[in-house]
Amino acid sequence: MIELTRREVLKGMAGLGAAGALPHVLSGSAQAQTTQKREFVLAQGGDISKFDPHFSTSSNDIRVSFNIFDNLTSRHPNGRLYPGLATEWKIEGQTTWRFKLRPGVKWHNGDPFTSADAKFSIERTYDAAAKTMVATALATIDRIEAPDPLTLVIHTKKPDPLLPARLGFYGGQIVPKKYLEAVGNDAFNAKPVGTGPVRFVSWVKDDKLVLDANPGYWGGRIDADRVIVRSIPETAPRIAALLKGEVDAITQLPPDHFERVAGNPSTKVVGALYAGLYVLAVNSKRPPLDSPLVKQALSLAMDRDLIVKELWRGRGSVPSGPIAKGDNHFDASLPPLAYNPTEARERLKKGGYKNEEVIIETTVGYTANDKTMAEAIVAMWRDAGINAKVEVIEYSVRAQKNRDKSFKGLWWSDPTSTLGDPDGMMWRLLGPGGPQDYWREPRFDELGMAARFSVDERFRGEAYREMTKIFLEHLPWVPVIQPYEDYGVQTYVEWTPNPNQQFEIRRFNFKFRRA
Amino acid sequence: MRGFLPFLGYRVFRALIALWLVSTVVFVVMRLSGDPVPLLLPPDAPRSEIFRVRAELGLDRSLPTQYGVFLANIARGDFGRSIHFREPAFRVVLGYLPATFELGLTAFALAVVVAAPIGLLSAMRRNSFLDHATMGLALVGQSAPTFFLGILFILLISLKAGLLPTSGRGDWTHLVLPALTLGAFSMASIARLTRSAILEVLRADYIRTARAKGLSELVVVAKHTLKNAAIPIVTITGLQFGTLLGGAVVTETVFSWPGIGRLAIQSIYNRDYPVVQCTVFLSAAMFVVINFCVDLLYGLLDPRIRSH
Repeated sequence: MIELTRREVLKGMAGLGAAGALPHVLSGSAQAQTTQKREFVLAQGGDISKFDPHFSTSSNDIRVSFNIFDNLTSRHPNGRLYPGLATEWKIEGQTTWRFKLRPGVKWHNGDPFTSADAKFSIERTYDAAAKTMVATALATIDRIEAPDPLTLVIHTKKPDPLLPARLGFYGGQIVPKKYLEAVGNDAFNAKPVGTGPVRFVSWVKDDKLVLDANPGYWGGRIDADRVIVRSIPETAPRIAALLKGEVDAITQLPPDHFERVAGNPSTKVVGALYAGLYVLAVNSKRPPLDSPLVKQALSLAMDRDLIVKELWRGRGSVPSGPIAKGDNHFDASLPPLAYNPTEARERLKKGGYKNEEVIIETTVGYTANDKTMAEAIVAMWRDAGINAKVEVIEYSVRAQKNRDKSFKGLWWSDPTSTLGDPDGMMWRLLGPGGPQDYWREPRFDELGMAARFSVDERFRGEAYREMTKIFLEHLPWVPVIQPYEDYGVQTYVEWTPNPNQQFEIRRFNFKFRRA
Repeated sequence: MRGFLPFLGYRVFRALIALWLVSTVVFVVMRLSGDPVPLLLPPDAPRSEIFRVRAELGLDRSLPTQYGVFLANIARGDFGRSIHFREPAFRVVLGYLPATFELGLTAFALAVVVAAPIGLLSAMRRNSFLDHATMGLALVGQSAPTFFLGILFILLISLKAGLLPTSGRGDWTHLVLPALTLGAFSMASIARLTRSAILEVLRADYIRTARAKGLSELVVVAKHTLKNAAIPIVTITGLQFGTLLGGAVVTETVFSWPGIGRLAIQSIYNRDYPVVQCTVFLSAAMFVVINFCVDLLYGLLDPRIRSH
């Protein structure tokens, strides 16, 4: 964790993005305040819709469900996988995983946690009758055995090196078999019971959710008696609530409000380099985007440094390829994607570009800065002689086009690296049959498939290096930025965010600064 | 009271037609606007998953069939299950109504209590400083966009002066800024209309007669002016009441107020058809009922309307 003064922040803004994947704290004052508070109030940009973790993957919901529930494995803010409800695990042969479960863990209602709960939870995710929204998250599993209360044996259909990582993200939250079967899905969703550091107390929709600390939490009681989650959808009132001290932390702090929070004596900005990228996904089936040379020209004509500096106030870094910094097999030796408008013109000429229209279909606020960046990029492309144009679409239209694969040219996508590995991002989205399957290259597919089902990390590393090379030639995505996910917090809050949007409040990453 | 029952029957019939039309329009528009399923599932969900969820929500049936089921269910008071919350839509909307009533009634009370006397005073002191100042302020209230007023109040009153909470629902202090913001437009409209209605009556012959009879100004205003100016004032007040109770999308969003306006807008984004339909139906029903009451009030205020 790095502490900076305001002057240093201003001086080092542009360079900050390159400083690495570790979370940063940027404070407006050298002297942090202390507090005697026992209540932690968080304001997020939207309300919770469901508590049952198997029925939602929305970020507003998982910020809460990852705290009421635990997973077998736990991805910490440093990006590494740690024990959760499982204390250790090992692979036996190619397709069998043995998990040792944590003894003495109790559900919030006092029932003991056993392997029967874990087996039930995981099977529930892909059980057709349960109709969950995470049916594909753990679909590599063939069958599960629970030979004794503290052992779980999982057999996968094919070798799955990422199974422990999959169990650490959505779909992997463990729910109580006995309670859920007794009360049914609806009652469970209304009054969830987990093993996590906080337990459910009450919820008034669109107003506030009250959670109490779980005193007997296996990971240690958190440094607050009560956690309140409020929903404040508008950015300006959300920031006003933070500045006035009504809330202790806010999510989704846009870069253009960075200074107000960092410059205020009682608040600071805490950020983590996003475990993922903001990319312009490409419909490579539509001319002129079926030409790799034209796509290379689009990439070369984009001044990403300027975008990071001007539109993100330095809160991001320029990607070097399709793998996010911080992920397995990220190649630190690759240079950031280059800006060279002269070369861009050359490649347009070589690629036989005939002034066809190139359209970016942008949303407004689907990702931070989406429309502004689209406008800036289109201006840069026009300067390089590309007939580019922005079209604004609504969120649900985007969702529909995503489903029908009917985008006209390029569109914003913010792929999250769900597994800390290229398989959970590049291959999940760009692989055959994936949601962004607009381009195929036999060698890329062969390597992606082999890497998915190999437990040999050296082989996987080589496969992803070669895939990156193919990617950079064909550019099924034009990567734009790896931004920081910023949160505003009071200076008396010491909290390290997780890069993959999991908002965890645990002993290892959260405490109040006491006098 | 001859003719009252047919009058009542006709009004009820018209109200039902209005409600049917509103629900049909909402049904059609929501379905034209797109499919909720891609928003519910993760982006990498396979097509089989999408078809399964569509079938589960009944969206795989033909539109006329869906419409038939929708009308039959509404007649039984069943608005379906919320796609987003996975519970009955009516129960979801009911949960949001108290907050909307609390805000709407306060804003309305504020509007009437402040605006009516101001309108009256402005009319009586026409062209005075008071008249110019209040009517200037009313013009601002009527023309300033709600989101701008709301954020201005938060920045100035809440953040700079540190007087009231920035957002959320809680004790009475939480109510002041949203009620002022929401009530500003109604306040301005009612004040301006009261002023002009009273000015018009003050020019009437019977007022000149009343004054000529030597009646005091108080009696002239209380007995002769107010009652005759009441019809337009009651009309605008009724309309404003309906609007305020129907949920205030912008005010509720700016102040994170958990009312049905915010629910409606969120549900539109989420393509939560049942909740949008239920919210719009209830808002329309409230508007219709209030209009109906206003019609009845006309009869009380002016017996000539009853006999027509």
